[in-house]
Amino acid sequence: MRLHRRDLLASTAVLFGGITAHASIVSGALPWQPSAGTPPEPARPGPWLFFTNEEAAAIEAIADRIIPPDPQTPGGKDAGCAVFIDRQLAGPYGRQEGLYTAAPFHKGKKEQGPQSDAGPAEQYRKALAALDRYCRANRNNRAFADLSDAEKDDILAGLESSRIALEGTNGKEFFEAILKDVQQGFFADPLYGGNRDMVAWKMIGYPGARYDYRDWVSRHNERFPLPPVSIMGRPGWMPGKA
Amino acid sequence: MLRALAITIGALVILALAVVAIGVGVRSLMTPVVDGIHHRKGQDFALIERGRYLTAVADCASCHTIPGEGRPFAGGRRIETPFGFVAAANITPDAETGIGTWTDRQFDAAVRQGERRDGKPLYPAMPFPYYSRMSREDVLAIRAYLDTVAPVRNPVTSDLLPFPLSIRAGMLAWDALYFRPGEFRPDDTKSPEWNRGAYLVEGPGHCGACHTPKTWLGGDENAQKLRGSVIQGWFAPNITNDSTRGLGRWSPDDIVEYLRDGHNRLSAATGPMAEEIALSSSHMTDADLYAIAAYLKDQRGGSEATPPARSEDAAMAAGGAIYRDVCSACHTPDGRGVPYLFPALAASPSVRSRDPTTLIRIVLRGARSVATVREPTGPGMPAFGWQLDDSEVAAVLTYIRNSWGVAAAPVTAEEVHTARTRLAARSE
Ligand code: HEC
Ligand code: HEC
Ligand code: HEC
Repeated sequence: MRLHRRDLLASTAVLFGGITAHASIVSGALPWQPSAGTPPEPARPGPWLFFTNEEAAAIEAIADRIIPPDPQTPGGKDAGCAVFIDRQLAGPYGRQEGLYTAAPFHKGKKEQGPQSDAGPAEQYRKALAALDRYCRANRNNRAFADLSDAEKDDILAGLESSRIALEGTNGKEFFEAILKDVQQGFFADPLYGGNRDMVAWKMIGYPGARYDYRDWVSRHNERFPLPPVSIMGRPGWMPGKA
Repeated sequence: MLRALAITIGALVILALAVVAIGVGVRSLMTPVVDGIHHRKGQDFALIERGRYLTAVADCASCHTIPGEGRPFAGGRRIETPFGFVAAANITPDAETGIGTWTDRQFDAAVRQGERRDGKPLYPAMPFPYYSRMSREDVLAIRAYLDTVAPVRNPVTSDLLPFPLSIRAGMLAWDALYFRPGEFRPDDTKSPEWNRGAYLVEGPGHCGACHTPKTWLGGDENAQKLRGSVIQGWFAPNITNDSTRGLGRWSPDDIVEYLRDGHNRLSAATGPMAEEIALSSSHMTDADLYAIAAYLKDQRGGSEATPPARSEDAAMAAGGAIYRDVCSACHTPDGRGVPYLFPALAASPSVRSRDPTTLIRIVLRGARSVATVREPTGPGMPAFGWQLDDSEVAAVLTYIRNSWGVAAAPVTAEEVHTARTRLAARSE
């Protein structure tokens, strides 16, 4: 309900002058609409929306070094972290939608957030190009994805410690961004493209988007027996359905 | 639906031609009413108050007022019938567009005999076949009350039905088939409370308008009285004393609480019943509500055949998993729910209704229960139509219909699909 100036004047007039005005009484339950809310739109499988194939190969390689596969759990690549990052960069997050991004830009403290009009999408694009140039120049003209695990780790460690500088972009900031994004892709709801088959949740025993754990609040050191559920459900509901 | 409509139209035309004479006969054979002098505005408080109460019991406001417009009884609300829409008339005392200049006789003829002021028949979207059980005194008390509401100038065109249903004379044939005029006659073998309940349910309360199954022409299937019917995209469940599909396991207190507060320990009212409770039964006296309960508890449910309990199959397994993951947080794993908050699906006759229309609708679009003075919260259920596809909705409903020691026909993905398509075209 919006209060218009006229209504306000009318109601104050009542207070001061005793003129009759119509008050509106709000009673009963809150307004309700069928099918209310904005349902999430699941990331759909398919071609890359933001990355080129080469960029995607580099991201997948980095994801697999940040979260390497082991016999029980797939690594960052197979868990879909690159898909997660791709869909994020292609969407409002990549475009910095909703953030104030106009000049002037001053170098600020870390807590003051990014000081640039280049959003994450542009940062990734520039950094991946610079990383590719770095690898080709310093590692026998090979792309990052074609390096050995030891070489990849060496470069990532170099970016993290600022030992390796990327041309035209901040390598350390890029490393921090991708470290964060790969983890988010791994643990976020599968709806967003990562955490494929809820592998990350199964690994840590997180039961997912369930409503209610009251029965378990006081049961310590016991394994929760139910499988995890995504916001969109889980494949186990209807075995054999695509 | 289209086919049904075509058949209906065809049949109505034939019937209209064939039975017009009989129809006219029926109308003129009805209890002759003394042609009253032009109604005078009365100041008789007791009469007006009786009229106010009866107007609430008869729920005249629900059809004759557009919700939220603040113009009580000014008409214009489009009433959905299986054949199309009919707009309810302006029944404020406005002289030009309302009933201000009607004689009492004309008013009585409209309410109890379905006869318009110009002598043409009213469509039974106006529940005169039920109101016919009221006495003339009751109707004139309603009139006395309506005379006290603010007159509103609001011309209403009621005729929205397609040709040939738009020919009102056709309704005479309908009347001949389904309209049994006549005041309520008490049954001396029953208690006064039972008789009061019978009068309220069969008369002003017009519960059967929604709860009694309809023939293909929209008339009441009297042998199936109160055994459940589809109405405006909802299923009004069996409210006889049937122990599986009806109120057999509800005590009179449960029924009274439901009708008065919209909630009881087992269930909550939503959709058209929420409106009925908000505008009508929540305003009835406890004595009248117990009378209704006594009457309903004495209605035999008939023996709707109970399908054999379902053995474990794929749909039950899937439905059980979905129920546990999505529904059990509110409705609890054992289906007992939380009294007055989350309905006990294990004890809900509506869950086991022969027709799953309401269930599918609630799961697809969510629902909000009625808020009343005693239960002001009106808890709602979230929509799951975005999350569960047709086969998942079918599975979870099949599961709740066949768990906790009860059994009902499974729900198919096709039914859910059809309902989803139809609901997309409905606003409320
Ligand atoms: C279920 C909906 C519904 C309810 C409840 C209802 N009406 Fe109606 N009423 C209608 C509709 C629809 C019409 C128009 C029917 C038509 O034009 O054939 C109508 C028509 C009328 C008319 C005829 C008006 C005219 O101008 O021809 C009167 C009088 C009337 N109603 C009075 C009442 C009273 C009094 C009550 C309560 C005792 C009541 N109605 C309850 C739906 C309803
Ligand atoms: C406008 C249509 C309509 C009218 C009139 C109506 N009902 Fe209902 N009623 C419904 C619908 C629809 C439901 C199902 C509501 C739900 O599932 O929440 C229902 C549910 C009920 C229930 C709960 C049954 C259950 O199994 O949960 C009772 C009891 C009931 N009605 C009694 C009555 C009585 C008594 C009257 C007359 C005074 C009446 N109704 C008039 C449409 C109506
Ligand atoms: C957040 C709590 C919540 C969840 C989760 C929930 N419900 Fe409900 N449910 C409710 C409430 C509250 C009502 C009463 C709403 C009303 O009457 O309008 C209700 C009503 C119902 C009814 C009507 C019962 C009756 O007796 O009228 C059915 C059927 C139902 N729910 C099925 C389900 C199914 C199936 C699921 C899972 C897919 C589910 N509910 C999940 C809260 C919930």
